[in-house]
Amino acid sequence: MNRNIKLLWNGLIPENPIFRLALSMCPAVAVTTSVENGLMLGLAVIFVQVFSSCTVAIFKSFIHPRIRIPAYVIVIALWVTVIDMILPVISPDVYKKVELFVKLIVVFAIIISRLELFASKEPLVPSFFDGLGMGIGFLFGLCLTGAIREFFGTGQIFGFDILGFNPLLIMVLPAGGFFVIGFIMAAFNYIEYKLTGKIPSSGGAH
Amino acid sequence: MKEIFKITVSLTAVCIVASLILGFVYAKTEHARKLNEEKIEQDTIQSLLGYGKGKTPPSDLRVYPVYRYVINSAEGETFLGYVLPLKDKKVALVKMDLSGNPVKVFPIEADLSSLSDKATRDAAVDAVLPKGSKSVYAQTIFVADLGDKRLGYVVPGITQGFKTFIKLMVALNPDFTVTGVAVTYSEEDPGLGAEIQKDFFRNQFVGKTLDFLKKLTVVKEPLPASYAIALDPAKAKKKGLSAEQVKEIKAKHVNDNIYALTGATISSRALTSGVVNTVKKFVYRLDKLNEAVKKDQLSIAF
Repeated sequence: MNRNIKLLWNGLIPENPIFRLALSMCPAVAVTTSVENGLMLGLAVIFVQVFSSCTVAIFKSFIHPRIRIPAYVIVIALWVTVIDMILPVISPDVYKKVELFVKLIVVFAIIISRLELFASKEPLVPSFFDGLGMGIGFLFGLCLTGAIREFFGTGQIFGFDILGFNPLLIMVLPAGGFFVIGFIMAAFNYIEYKLTGKIPSSGGAH
Repeated sequence: MKEIFKITVSLTAVCIVASLILGFVYAKTEHARKLNEEKIEQDTIQSLLGYGKGKTPPSDLRVYPVYRYVINSAEGETFLGYVLPLKDKKVALVKMDLSGNPVKVFPIEADLSSLSDKATRDAAVDAVLPKGSKSVYAQTIFVADLGDKRLGYVVPGITQGFKTFIKLMVALNPDFTVTGVAVTYSEEDPGLGAEIQKDFFRNQFVGKTLDFLKKLTVVKEPLPASYAIALDPAKAKKKGLSAEQVKEIKAKHVNDNIYALTGATISSRALTSGVVNTVKKFVYRLDKLNEAVKKDQLSIAF
């Protein structure tokens, strides 16, 4: 039980997909012009990540190691398509909002990297918590970035007018996404340096 | 050598299992999804005509569908076909050549409501056409009447967006002035191109007359702040603008071009050209259709 909570926490801060692993940066920059967009994409990612991690954890012995990557892509695409087909039946209103985001997910680096690094080696329960933790971490990253960009770019949070004017329009443009994520990443690294006294190792962006 | 077989079998098995699951889910959800899509389409048409959420449409509101078909005859010529609702609940197929001259009228022995199902309608159209002709469904135009008066038209259109097609619906009043625009399907990027679905962008088209529409362009200028508030009913309500103030601001900007979305000029241009082309084509087609109806003295329902 203790390890599962650790896995959840691990995805949220120490190995946050956006700020620490620097994975799935393209959607993170493109989508986070508002908190709502970040929240919707984050929710969609949590579903796909958890389902894919569990599927791979259960069926890993059937997947030949040489074709694991194409098999993972099929698993992710399967879940994305299934959600895309079932959601409009269950709740057309929710689907209308997340439709665009769900279709983006197939090519996210974070999902396939968690399948490769974690779910393909570990049993079902830890894989579930790792997937959930990573999904929540991604959601947290998107919402934080989205909140900063929306606030400075349009003066709003969740579409509610707070300032009544646009302080910095560049924040809602793609360049603003890079600025915000870069600054948050720097803050993460600075805090880690202060806490541990070690210079954090670098990650590769995808 | 042995390994390559193992890999092939393994990957094939994964693919087969995945496709079986997808097929099963598709078969289970297809019907419900179709019903939902039809309901969303009906809601879109009603809200474009001004009877959206919370407003019950008057009892004498009638919306008549006109189905357009492309017909390829056995000799290889191309014709257009319109399935028109007639008075006394009859239906007719008007066949015309590409320049709009009516060729023949075929009565269809079917109830109009049963023709809303595409498979039934396709079969009914094929049954009345001469042997060897092939018909392909193109689109459905909706004509709305309020009592005896023409309320307007709702015309679907399709245009090339940033990534894939944008499907849209334009509502027109009898003078062909735009009364509403809705995006029914698009895959534009959230936060950028997807803003074309927002009220403040769609409502910029409202009030544009046919003559103005023909020379409408997209300008890369910021949307004036007061105009942006007037375009978005929720914002106008929050700012405490009265209906007259909103009308006044809108009237001031009615002959402005479309203000492009920040960071999504391509999507803005795509929707604008989509709306313009949809309206232009529709006006031309309606003109030809009216001529044909007059010539053959059909008593159409609307």
